[in-house]
Amino acid sequence: MSHTHFPPSNTFHHRMRGFFAIDEREPVVAYCQTAAGKIALCVAAGLALQLVTLVVQPDHRWWQVVAIILAAAGMAYLPKYRSAILFAGTSFHSFTSLPPTVNAHVALATFMIFAWGTLVLVRRNKSHVYARRPVITLIFVVVGMFLISQLLPAGMLRSGVLALMWLINTYIWFIAYAIVDQRSRHVSSDMFQLGTMQPFWGSTTTPFGKGAAFLRKTLSHTSLDLVITQIKGIKLLVWASILLGLKLFLLWLTVEALNLPPVEQALAAYLRGEPYPILIGWAAISAETADFTLWLAVCGHAIVGTARLAGFRLPRNMCRPLEARTLAEFWNCYNFYFKELMVDFFYIPTFLKTFRKYPRLRMFFSTFMAAGVGNFLYHFLQGIFLFEEIGFQGALDRFHTSYLF
Amino acid sequence: MSDRETLRVCIQGLLEKKRRPTEFSDSDSLFISAKLDSFSMMKLIMELEEMFGIDFSRVDFDVSLIDSIDDIVRLVDSN
Repeated sequence: MSHTHFPPSNTFHHRMRGFFAIDEREPVVAYCQTAAGKIALCVAAGLALQLVTLVVQPDHRWWQVVAIILAAAGMAYLPKYRSAILFAGTSFHSFTSLPPTVNAHVALATFMIFAWGTLVLVRRNKSHVYARRPVITLIFVVVGMFLISQLLPAGMLRSGVLALMWLINTYIWFIAYAIVDQRSRHVSSDMFQLGTMQPFWGSTTTPFGKGAAFLRKTLSHTSLDLVITQIKGIKLLVWASILLGLKLFLLWLTVEALNLPPVEQALAAYLRGEPYPILIGWAAISAETADFTLWLAVCGHAIVGTARLAGFRLPRNMCRPLEARTLAEFWNCYNFYFKELMVDFFYIPTFLKTFRKYPRLRMFFSTFMAAGVGNFLYHFLQGIFLFEEIGFQGALDRFHTSYLF
Repeated sequence: MSDRETLRVCIQGLLEKKRRPTEFSDSDSLFISAKLDSFSMMKLIMELEEMFGIDFSRVDFDVSLIDSIDDIVRLVDSN
């Protein structure tokens, strides 16, 4: 049996961690359970979130941030109405994030009926292909709707089909998780399920918090758990603000101070036969990698931090990726929820059903299905609207997935 | 060694490889709590297939089926 080496507890790293571990300090935890403390928590979260939102989502208004904090607080402090507050908060956030047109709102309302109908259908008929193969079915629906839209003349019907297709595409992984969640032992209510689709605490096309079943498992059950989760959430929001500051400084350093070219420009220069000096090229790549990583970290921490305010002790999306010792561990630490999505919908189903007598081949093929096929499908769906905007050939030319050589 | 003890030893091995604490109760969450990741889950599944002959391709798989020792024992008993 191997021996695991644990670093000594008096290292600088551990001392720093101890200093910032305010969620382990009894006076702080006790104060945050008082009425004044709860208000202070919400105000602190609101300020940190607003700071991040100013840069990450500049089109968001301050009252939308207030609404998010109120919804999170409502879920945390009024557990009896949790599902209703979640549904209301998410609906409000979704409707106010859309362009202020009747068509957009009608499309969203239509989509919500579609999502609810999906839940009813898969619950009543577990052997239906939609229940057994949600991802493939949804992909067929999206691609099918796109093809139908191409056959329709320009007008309301075509716009409506495209709008609904766009919404289903945006929510595709949320619907998939909701369908899979219908198989769990204790199924969440429809209201809770619908509230987890692009929830009010934020998301990308990747569900942060996966589905309702995972969210329920991470919910704080005691008032002590809740306040610790909330303090951890605020720490994460503050950390997101600090990383955002670092990102802006890095941007100033590379663009204003050092005048580094963007990677795309450096690559184009190389292809023209006029390459930048090699150090400039490497500096550009390093700067853009750091910039993207910081962006991913800021967005992920803001989303998870806000969800923690609502009482969900979600794992961070990014957690010390440079300490990873293997590639698999790196993806676990770098983009956790995207990795989970690939594992849940590609890796596990493949692993359970293929090459059961050949362990290495089994793991290799499952990894290929997740990291190759799943990754391609995810990004293909993200960019499917390019086919509408710039045509088939143009979309293929711009399609950034590197798997199609 | 009983089934529970065998499972515990197996899971402790997985936790040690991940440099995680190896003390846990039979009801503690292993995967949903992110103590162990999906690769560990696949290794555990292969062990369960070998130890108990469970055919996971026939099971409506959900991670909660194997999220704790209690869950695994329940699954083994039902099979």
